Amino acid sequence: MTSETLPARRPGLLVGALADKSQVVLIGLLVILCVAISVAAPQFYSVDNTIAILRQCALVLIVAVGMTMLLIAGEVDLSVGASLAFTGCVAMDVTNRTHSVTLGALAALAFAAAVGLFNGLVVTRLRINSLIATIATMMILQGSVYLYTREAVQNKHQLDAFTAIGAGYVGPIPIPVILAAVIFVLGYVALRFTLFGRYLYAVGANQKAARLSGLRAERLKVIAFVITGLCVGVAGLVLCSLMNAGQPTAGRGFELTVIAAVILGGTSLAGGRGTLVGTLLGVLLLKVIDNGIIILRWNQDLQMVVPGIVIVLATWLDIIRRKADAR
Amino acid sequence: MRADPLETAKEAAVPALEMRGIGKRFPGVIALDGVDLALAPGKVHALMGENGAGKSTLIKILAGVYGKDTGTIRVGGRETEFRSPRDALRQGIKVVFQEIALISEFTVAENIFLEEYPRIAGGSIDWKRIRAEAAALFQRIGFDVDPAAKTGDLPVSQQQMVEIARALAHEARIVVMDEPTSSLTPKEVELLFVVIRRLTALGIAVVYVSHKLDEVFEIADEVTVLRDGRHISTKPIGAHTHDSLIHDMIGRRIDNLFPRVRRHSPGKAVLTVENLSTDAKLKGVSFEARAGEVLGFFGLMGAGRTELAKAIVGYDPIRSGTIRIDGTPLVPHDTRRAVGLGIGLLTEDRKTEGLMLELPVLQNMSLASLSAFAKAGFVDEGRERSAVQSFVDRFRVKTPGLGQAIKNLSGGNQQKVLLARWLMRGLKVIVVDEPTRGIDVGAKSEIFALIDQLAGEGLAVIMMTSEMPELLGLSDRIAVMAEGRITAVMPRDAATQEIILNAAIA
Repeated sequence: MTSETLPARRPGLLVGALADKSQVVLIGLLVILCVAISVAAPQFYSVDNTIAILRQCALVLIVAVGMTMLLIAGEVDLSVGASLAFTGCVAMDVTNRTHSVTLGALAALAFAAAVGLFNGLVVTRLRINSLIATIATMMILQGSVYLYTREAVQNKHQLDAFTAIGAGYVGPIPIPVILAAVIFVLGYVALRFTLFGRYLYAVGANQKAARLSGLRAERLKVIAFVITGLCVGVAGLVLCSLMNAGQPTAGRGFELTVIAAVILGGTSLAGGRGTLVGTLLGVLLLKVIDNGIIILRWNQDLQMVVPGIVIVLATWLDIIRRKADAR
Repeated sequence: MRADPLETAKEAAVPALEMRGIGKRFPGVIALDGVDLALAPGKVHALMGENGAGKSTLIKILAGVYGKDTGTIRVGGRETEFRSPRDALRQGIKVVFQEIALISEFTVAENIFLEEYPRIAGGSIDWKRIRAEAAALFQRIGFDVDPAAKTGDLPVSQQQMVEIARALAHEARIVVMDEPTSSLTPKEVELLFVVIRRLTALGIAVVYVSHKLDEVFEIADEVTVLRDGRHISTKPIGAHTHDSLIHDMIGRRIDNLFPRVRRHSPGKAVLTVENLSTDAKLKGVSFEARAGEVLGFFGLMGAGRTELAKAIVGYDPIRSGTIRIDGTPLVPHDTRRAVGLGIGLLTEDRKTEGLMLELPVLQNMSLASLSAFAKAGFVDEGRERSAVQSFVDRFRVKTPGLGQAIKNLSGGNQQKVLLARWLMRGLKVIVVDEPTRGIDVGAKSEIFALIDQLAGEGLAVIMMTSEMPELLGLSDRIAVMAEGRITAVMPRDAATQEIILNAAIA
């Protein structure tokens, strides 16, 4: 039962983490899905398509890392989609004005982190439920991005470095995938091995107990919000680079995809429980479904329907597994 | 004295309820194994046993929450079965659970008639009649509460009365009360007993589930003891002594519930509180606690014990006054610094303020001392694990492993883990608030021994309690609170129940 919070019994072994009981259902679903799609459409099982899937995963995974931490700490951020779009516009605009990708990137990170900080302060200082607070932030951002720019911010200078962030490769591997992998590993280490990670679980599991034990619960939550913001900053930069413009309309519904992936990965909305390995599997599952629907030439609208069904199914199977475990 | 419960019951009348050979198994556990229970109308039947003895399972079968696997149930001589809580209620059985099952947003009257509202022509609800009938029911049990009050605004004791009134509204013949006094003040307990006697006068059979021996001796006519899912004994209460009842419950004799091994006299004052006031409750509280002593705080409910506990550990804000630990003033409303100075609270409310229920024993125990196992922000899990294991061994925490979710442990073992959480941290002052609430007799004496041991190791222990035996058995000095003030402080040897109660009522 440790498994639910401390995935690997022997620290550092990815195998140990993957063999975790709570992920069995997801791994099973993923394998079945991959085999089924491969049988129906052999081109699914190719290097190119695998890389394409990973690339599609990257954007969601980057933000999902922060979101997993936030959910573990017992909070949620629904403003990540709106923030993603705004961040992209800021990144593009600053890059256009300064001719500097570095400054553009820093501006994107600073903006998104500031949004996270704002969310964190509203939730911890004003004690507003994070669901409500971040819906409000989402609305504020969705509206104010139009005050900032009426239409898409075009890439004026076409700097190579800027394009590379989203579209570049190192060897055969897309840069966004590398970014996602680095963020994932950092997040994994932080959650699994550091004091900070352990405290996040504690605060999410029982904030009062954590406070009585001398933890600064509020501060930890603010940090989790800021980390989520930073993840959004990276993702916003990638998205903006991919689209070669800052799109104020981008990112609609993105927050739901991220949260769906995290929940699918077994992280509890109630806080205190969840793993990044689960989140990774959740993201993979959703994106394999997406990819399968495209490859099989099914109706694209199913891209929303099928994941919905899968979330219900996976959550239900997880409940059954848990009951079986308890015996 | 020969006592066959079934004989006595038959002599009285047909039993109101008769359960025979009740068996129930859950995957991996036999919860009940051939248990008998016979209830006579108009009598109070106490059901006792340690946690895990099978009391709850038996009650839940009575309530229709669980089905039985084997055995027979007769109500008024007729064999029957309870398919659901609603079904049980229809057959005249009302269970008042510890966690009160009322809708807090509804009025008292609405809650009483929740299952079936009286209606007027056209199908709309007859509010007038509901209020009137609720008031009439309260009169019958001799209880004064406004039927139009919002249920959630009432104290637990009154909500309990609402539940009991609900039983009457359904013309229940059997009322089961599960640990009804666990959150009541002594005065409220007396009131409850008055109501229970009224119920029995109406010919209702009452099942009284409790850990508290004194209460059982006061209110019960008969007592059935369960242990490990088995029926151990059923006797008239007169056939029992405290010792024999405990013996039946735990299968061994506890010679001394309050083992005292401390010999040396207390040291210097480690905690000094001066003129402490809070917005909520406390008014100019001053006292000091010395190293190596147990300072017991007694007070009736609402006297301010929990408020004091939470203020001096930096959890709640204060208005004025100072708190010093070894001379260093504590920054109010900052638990982190308070813990750093060496004061911590073992909370009264384990579930909502102490335990991380879903998390394993390991995380629960190491929570307060985790930073001591960390280097450059990384936790050394090996060291953490071995430290936790050593406390599990030393405190004899019964758990299958460190990875076991703490919610699966018994109350006593959970409490040991929480105590260990603080001991690992190394404190100078520990505040324990109702340390044995909801813990069964066997584990209680272990917790007492641990508290005694803590003081023996030089900690200042501040114990908030509403249980007189605990207070007198464990304290070196006793402070009594009433309405947010300390009304008396005395050495244990000078204390009697009368002196303490007088100070508590003042």
